[in-house]
Amino acid sequence: MNKVYVSAIANKVSEEEIRSLISPAKARRLGMLQKRALATALKALAVSGIEMPDMILNGTVMGCIETSLRILDGMASDGEKVAMPTAFMQSTHNTVASLIAIHTGNHGYNATYSHGAVSFECALQDAFLSIRSGQASSALVCRNDEITPLMRQNPKFFGNVQFSDVSEAWVLTANRDDGALFEIEDIVITHRNGTDSAEIVKSEL
Amino acid sequence: MTADRVVITGIGLVSAIGSNLSENLANLRQGKSGVSEMEFLGSEHKGLPVGEVKLSNRQMCEMLGIVDGELVSRTFLLGALAVKEALGFLPPVVRGGLALVSGTTVAGMDVTEKLYPEPLPADSDPVHDCGSNTNSIAKYFGCFDYATTISTACSSALNSLIFGKRLIEGGVRDIVVAGGTEALSKFHLNGFKSLMILDERRCRPFDKTRAGLNLGEGAAFMVLERESSAIARNASILAVLSGAGNACDAYHQTASSPGGEGAFLAMERALASARLAPADIDYISAHGTGTPDNDASESAAIKRLFGQNHPPVSSTKALTGHTTSASGSIEAAFCILAMNNRFLPKNAGFSTPDESCITPLTSDVAPDCRIDNVMCNSFGFGGNDSSIILSRYE
Repeated sequence: MNKVYVSAIANKVSEEEIRSLISPAKARRLGMLQKRALATALKALAVSGIEMPDMILNGTVMGCIETSLRILDGMASDGEKVAMPTAFMQSTHNTVASLIAIHTGNHGYNATYSHGAVSFECALQDAFLSIRSGQASSALVCRNDEITPLMRQNPKFFGNVQFSDVSEAWVLTANRDDGALFEIEDIVITHRNGTDSAEIVKSEL
Repeated sequence: MTADRVVITGIGLVSAIGSNLSENLANLRQGKSGVSEMEFLGSEHKGLPVGEVKLSNRQMCEMLGIVDGELVSRTFLLGALAVKEALGFLPPVVRGGLALVSGTTVAGMDVTEKLYPEPLPADSDPVHDCGSNTNSIAKYFGCFDYATTISTACSSALNSLIFGKRLIEGGVRDIVVAGGTEALSKFHLNGFKSLMILDERRCRPFDKTRAGLNLGEGAAFMVLERESSAIARNASILAVLSGAGNACDAYHQTASSPGGEGAFLAMERALASARLAPADIDYISAHGTGTPDNDASESAAIKRLFGQNHPPVSSTKALTGHTTSASGSIEAAFCILAMNNRFLPKNAGFSTPDESCITPLTSDVAPDCRIDNVMCNSFGFGGNDSSIILSRYE
């Protein structure tokens, strides 16, 4: 069994970093969350030195909810005459992990987890198990969610679900020499009566 | 080695061609389509045929003993019916500490869109998001201590089976209930309509005149189990999940690449993980949505991997509609039904060959045909392409 290390963590990218990592022509076609998610992923990959990971995974509670809301608004005002193909394309939850793959030309394993508060840990578990078993040697694992004005106004609009305004990306590797920060020993995810909990068991190097 | 295989010991299945396994088997064998005029969705686009499950929300609530189900998501109801049938394969004594892996994209959108711009009521269960739908299923049955949700658009359910296999191989669980559920919603019907890929007639996968897909709905869940666990409890083993491949086309958010790179890689990886050669595959259950783009791209990938003498290929989308996030597990269930009952599903809706496509199976195969390994494809928006191999258990 291989060991699993984390070799880079990127989060809180600045507007300036986004501008330097994504060309204006490309950025214009992307929503806010997509831009931030892509820039965060690119930054983590650059820091780790692993340009082409074997896996790209994303964990998201609500997906690109801002685009979904635009369609819902359209349907609320214009009924079913509404036609918003670009928004629809960007409204599926897997759009972020796909965008990263398209941008970097990565044909590896690609998946998106959307399981409430433990979405990121589920994505992490997929990468962890794959690297540990030797099926993969590296993985980019992201977490991405956005808070829109509607949800700032009414956090319970979509029911009792917890999420925050966040873009974060981890690079996992089987190779300690890839600038390992710490080791992941296990990911433990538990469900009980409709509620999940997760623990990332880490060890210092 | 053998004892480490992941086998299937239970299936639950709800689709436009049946609300349980036996109805689905009978209609799949006869090639009877469930794609018809919409009855429950209530969209104004009445001219678009859909593959609706022929049960109202009220009927499903009754079947599940749910009262006050007016604002309960249809995605949850379909999923719960399929999980219920799958769990029926397990004796009560092993119905504890199970894992649930579900794939969905629409989740609670059917309820959200009914109310919007009003918020969901405070006591809604499930609520809007994908994870909540899965957790409400887990809570309803009370036998799951692990739950997760995969959302990779149309390949969600197949990726759930792949992750379920990984959980077992990684020693996280011995038994995983995995699959997917998706209900029709105005949100995604109008979304697909805006992409101009819905056919106003019944879809015709791989046909020269194909003009798009019909949306469908449904759910299918499988009991995945470590082979040694199944043998130890003397369970009846329905099939082996012998291979799995996932790849990203990395071409476009909704269009498939002309050469089908992602599809090719997913199928190639599935074969490699099953340690099988292309010649070992006896049947391919194609993603075959009926869109000009998908069918040509998938055909190119099949020809590239299998050559001109590829095994029989068919798509069952003209029977069920494209059940999006549930399609992978529904069609994997069809593969097992076909394999164990020695028939191959014919490609309904096909009449005119197209030089850019494979020619699908349209005639009955010999009743004594041997079907040992079948491949099941499921591709999604974002180029999320997956393929699995199911093998006869002997």
